Amino acid sequence: MSNSTIQIDLKLDLVLERTVDVPREIVWSAWTQPELLKKWFVPAPWSAVDCELDLRPGGIFRTVMRSPEGQDFPNAGCFLEIVPKEKLVFTSALGPGYRPAIRGSKTGSGDELHFTAVITLEAQGTRTKYTAIAIHGDEASAKKHEEIGFYQGWGAALDQLVALAKTL
Amino acid sequence: MPNQQAAQLNRVFHGLADPTRRAVLERLSSGPAAVSELAEPFKMSLPAFLQHLEVLEQCGLVKSRKTGRVRTYRLTPRPLKAAESWLEKQHKIWNRRLDQLDTLLAELKEHKS
Repeated sequence: MSNSTIQIDLKLDLVLERTVDVPREIVWSAWTQPELLKKWFVPAPWSAVDCELDLRPGGIFRTVMRSPEGQDFPNAGCFLEIVPKEKLVFTSALGPGYRPAIRGSKTGSGDELHFTAVITLEAQGTRTKYTAIAIHGDEASAKKHEEIGFYQGWGAALDQLVALAKTL
Repeated sequence: MPNQQAAQLNRVFHGLADPTRRAVLERLSSGPAAVSELAEPFKMSLPAFLQHLEVLEQCGLVKSRKTGRVRTYRLTPRPLKAAESWLEKQHKIWNRRLDQLDTLLAELKEHKS
């Protein structure tokens, strides 16, 4: 189950890779501890005023973003896969417990298309290389996902979320 | 993002979310082509292929014109441009986010040592 398949299409997806001179444990903490994630996850001048992370498949990934004007926008997605210190997969297309999210109901961050993020961490001596992949899909593929249900394993789930083709 | 724009992006992403359709778009980027020519590289039934063309047209990514018995397709790049600039914006957001992460990581490391 931990070997989920991810297919990248550069017309739809983003791949960001960075190497930091920081041990992997610290990078993992920054991604998985709410108090730390709040400090960086929302690009300024927006800010994160609340954050809840339940590090289990189907567990909540909730942030409340505050606009520069002081308006709050809650977002609740869920985790799909967690491999401690190695890999983190979460999506905005499914809420806690894999319940399909309805687009436009509670969003408002200006980012109304769903995404799934795949974060991988790799230790390189005392440094860490981390890769963030954001895969995007359309509403139709999310609906298809909803119809099929979420019982085919995470790999299949990701395939349903984004219909895609080329392998990186 | 206005809803209309989101709806358009949704359509474009739907159009792009299939390898056959992407291959057709790539072919059309070098100029208009007739159905028979577009279908040729694919091992699928013509009706199945025509469905892909229909999706592309509904998404606004291509336009078709019938002359006699031949239907010709051409690319309509504007929606694709919209999708590209959306993706570009997301890229900036992620970059800013990761810049902030790297700043925090440096602080955490300092704190620890």
